Amino acid sequence: MLALSLALGACGSSSTSSSSSSTSSSNSAAVSGAGSTFAAPVYQQWASEIPGYTLNYQAVGSGAGITSLESKTVDFGASDPPLKPEDEAAIAKNGSPAVQIPMFFGAITVSYKVNGVKSGLKLDGKTIAEIFEGKITKWNAPQIAALNPGTSLPATTITVIHRSDSSGTTAGFTAFLASQSPEFKAKVGEGKTVQWPVGTGAKGNAGVAGAIEQTEGAIGYVEQAYALEHKFTYASVKNVDGVYVEPTLASTTAAAEGVEVPANLGIKVKDPKGQNAYPITSQTFIVVNKDLCKAGIPGGEGAAKGVAKLLEYGLGAGQNVLAKADYAKLPPSILEKSKAAAEKLECNGSQLKA
Amino acid sequence: MAAPAADPVPAGGRVLRPRPPAARLPDKALRVGLAILASLLVVLIAFFFIQLAIEAAPAFEREGIIGFVFKNDWNVSKDSFGALPLLIGTLITSGVALVIGVPVAVATAVYSTELAPRRIRSPLTVIVELLAAVPSVVYGLWGIFFLAPHLKGVEQWFANTFSFIPFIGGGLVTVPNYFVAGLVLAIMILPIVSAISRETMSSVPANHKEAALALGATRWEMIRMAVLPYSRVGIVGGAMLGLGRAIGEAIAVAILIGNSPVLGKHLFGQGYSLAAVIANEFGEAQGLHRSALFASGVVLFVLTFAVYAFARALVARAARAESSGAAAAADTVAGA
Amino acid sequence: MSTSPLAAYGVAARRRRTDQFVRGLIVAATVLAMIPLALILYYLLLKGLGAISWNFLTTDPSGNTFFGAANIGGIRSALVGSLLIVGLASLISIPIGVAVALWLVEYGRKSALARAVRFFVDILTGVPAIVFGLFIYILFVEGTGYAGYKGSLALVLLMLPIVIRSAEVIFELVPIELRESALALGAPRWRTIARVTLPTALPGLMTGVLLAIARAAGETAPLLFTAGSTMKTTVNLGSFMNSLPVQIYNDVTSPTPAVEQRAWGTALTLVVLILLLNVAARFASRRSRLG
Repeated sequence: MLALSLALGACGSSSTSSSSSSTSSSNSAAVSGAGSTFAAPVYQQWASEIPGYTLNYQAVGSGAGITSLESKTVDFGASDPPLKPEDEAAIAKNGSPAVQIPMFFGAITVSYKVNGVKSGLKLDGKTIAEIFEGKITKWNAPQIAALNPGTSLPATTITVIHRSDSSGTTAGFTAFLASQSPEFKAKVGEGKTVQWPVGTGAKGNAGVAGAIEQTEGAIGYVEQAYALEHKFTYASVKNVDGVYVEPTLASTTAAAEGVEVPANLGIKVKDPKGQNAYPITSQTFIVVNKDLCKAGIPGGEGAAKGVAKLLEYGLGAGQNVLAKADYAKLPPSILEKSKAAAEKLECNGSQLKA
Repeated sequence: MAAPAADPVPAGGRVLRPRPPAARLPDKALRVGLAILASLLVVLIAFFFIQLAIEAAPAFEREGIIGFVFKNDWNVSKDSFGALPLLIGTLITSGVALVIGVPVAVATAVYSTELAPRRIRSPLTVIVELLAAVPSVVYGLWGIFFLAPHLKGVEQWFANTFSFIPFIGGGLVTVPNYFVAGLVLAIMILPIVSAISRETMSSVPANHKEAALALGATRWEMIRMAVLPYSRVGIVGGAMLGLGRAIGEAIAVAILIGNSPVLGKHLFGQGYSLAAVIANEFGEAQGLHRSALFASGVVLFVLTFAVYAFARALVARAARAESSGAAAAADTVAGA
Repeated sequence: MSTSPLAAYGVAARRRRTDQFVRGLIVAATVLAMIPLALILYYLLLKGLGAISWNFLTTDPSGNTFFGAANIGGIRSALVGSLLIVGLASLISIPIGVAVALWLVEYGRKSALARAVRFFVDILTGVPAIVFGLFIYILFVEGTGYAGYKGSLALVLLMLPIVIRSAEVIFELVPIELRESALALGAPRWRTIARVTLPTALPGLMTGVLLAIARAAGETAPLLFTAGSTMKTTVNLGSFMNSLPVQIYNDVTSPTPAVEQRAWGTALTLVVLILLLNVAARFASRRSRLG
């Protein structure tokens, strides 16, 4: 077995590793990161576009990613929810304060499969909350019909599909519902894992998507990238301004525009204002120590430079790649702040940005 | 077990020298070496459990040991960690897996060793063991996307027709449920139970079998009298390994059980299990939640041990009961 | 079958019917056991065959998943990684497992230490694979870094109980007469073990070993937190190392359909690999038995 694998490894190594001899900066060092599964494909895509770059990313989940950064197991962490104060403190213990940098946004779609009903069914937060609480059980219920005069709705039973595994997507979705319905907030609450009163649990976006595809009358919450790639039918959700907006890349970025940005950049998209804003939007961050080398990241100086390079690309040309991948880019106001934060990163006192 | 060769009996009048002490060294070294290895293993495993118990401690402190195990409320966002629904779920799915998987596996082993034409024995073995090659996540995905939807209709019919039987009948049938999780677990444990049973059955001494046949037993009677009793220990050993797999399987169950932390009232409804909760929630868990997941692991260990101890006791009792019965008679006849 | 010979001996019709009935049941159960395998293989082929190509096996996965299926790369690093990680784990767990089982049967018997060993190994059988990964992660990876050999360590913990339990059953089956004859002929214990016990037990041992390897090769969770995931092929077990199950895990969560298909292709590859291993092992053992 060993011989076979060595042979395989050898037969390829000629065609493999363009050994970093390309661009000037010492990017042959590998950079390790851990965290958000949502952001994983994007970071891998960016890394593949930087010549000679090696990214070892562990898609273990935002929580595990932050813990990994705290214990200096990886060079950077990736989290969907903003840092809690205890996490900021724990990361700072390594010798340098924590910096969270918003990278991009994604919407959470309310996808469904109902015979004859196309994309764009109008739903508002309160109705969605009632559906996911189990109070509305049929598609032709008066609450739904009232919002959609002119659409013929069948009498099919609504099958609610939710996430069974802990996830930032659940956190974002329940945060929205909790803000729209005090009853939902009291009964179910918000968070990465909640106890859903009704419905079936499926594992991962793929699980929810699959379950929706298979069940007539199903409704569930699915990441935008997924819904767009698999061409789902999804709802138009009423935003703060009273407009029913479909989850497009433009409406997602628009939602981010109206967001209040705290000093530590720990944004949370809540009740976004703006005509074009899609209200169920969530963010994702790259989390690092301000002075990476001083904090003692495993990859050392080489990795520190690498992280800076990834940030530089991601906040630059990488933002244009996002659209192709069905993720939403940062609005200019936030992009500016992210870039500023990235530029302030240091290695043992000296600025990392070239 | 025969004692190591001591002073041999003189053969044909010639006096055989007893082996010099030096020649006994390899034996001693082997015995001591292996014993050390076994002890080290015990230390390693004990260390493993202690480590995990340490991680689990905060959760046990918070809920109390009894509280954690028997409280019926696993609600992460409300910081409540009672593992009873998980425990029940593990018992139900493993139970289904054993009830379905072991008889089928033993039947396959019997067929393979006693009834199958010689030529298909080897291919048959390879085919059954191929089931062991399928990764757990594939079982889960195949189960939820292919098997469960197809079974839903049958399950609904079953629940409706037998609704008078508590637990099995009645209730809303969901696509992911205890039964389908248990069924896929049964498929997953098939290879190991079958393989070990088969190995055991193929070592039944031929004279046992021939004796039974010579006495006029039919094929099945021969199997029942000579093969199965002899293979009992092996079958139980295989079943225990299968049970361990069923109890500890996380990913496939997480995909198939619906992940709803409720006390299962219906076989065809959703539930949760101790292993599945770890797989589902570990990535995002911090602090007390993480500790609670380790605590679920500890509950799993204790459960495994309890079930095994019970199984061993059962086997020991059955062995004692039988030792004065037909088996002894067959032994005498077979000239063993 | 059940008509002439048994009837000639006057076997009661009822017994004959029971015999036929039960045999029918056994055959039915065996066929039943084959059905899931056929369905799973069919499903795997359906979803994954399209991904398989020479390129698939000899190129590393690339992060470039959004610009067309041609760019996503193959699974070479996962293939090499799995072979190395599982290989190392087997190298460690098989000798240790067989040795401990041997000790249990030959020396330990019913002693207190043997009971302790059985107790601990029993509980280990029920531990979810993810917990092994977490154990190694907490002890060796957190703060220190991911490494291929750490993944092997987690797999060793997974494989040991399977090897030990199955080997113990097999060793118990070695006929006591064989052992006694060797000893009566004056062979020392170690020679009896080496020349009689082990060779007799070998085919059975191999079954247990192959099952342990198959299990280890397919588990994701132990490797996700220890060997981690990376895209480049490497033979350095001290650094990040990709593996087939982790590759499946990463791919299955991707929104891109082509990447999802690659996940199925990877699963298919894994199954075929284990099949080849099984066939090769049996072939080798048959040759050695005849020779």
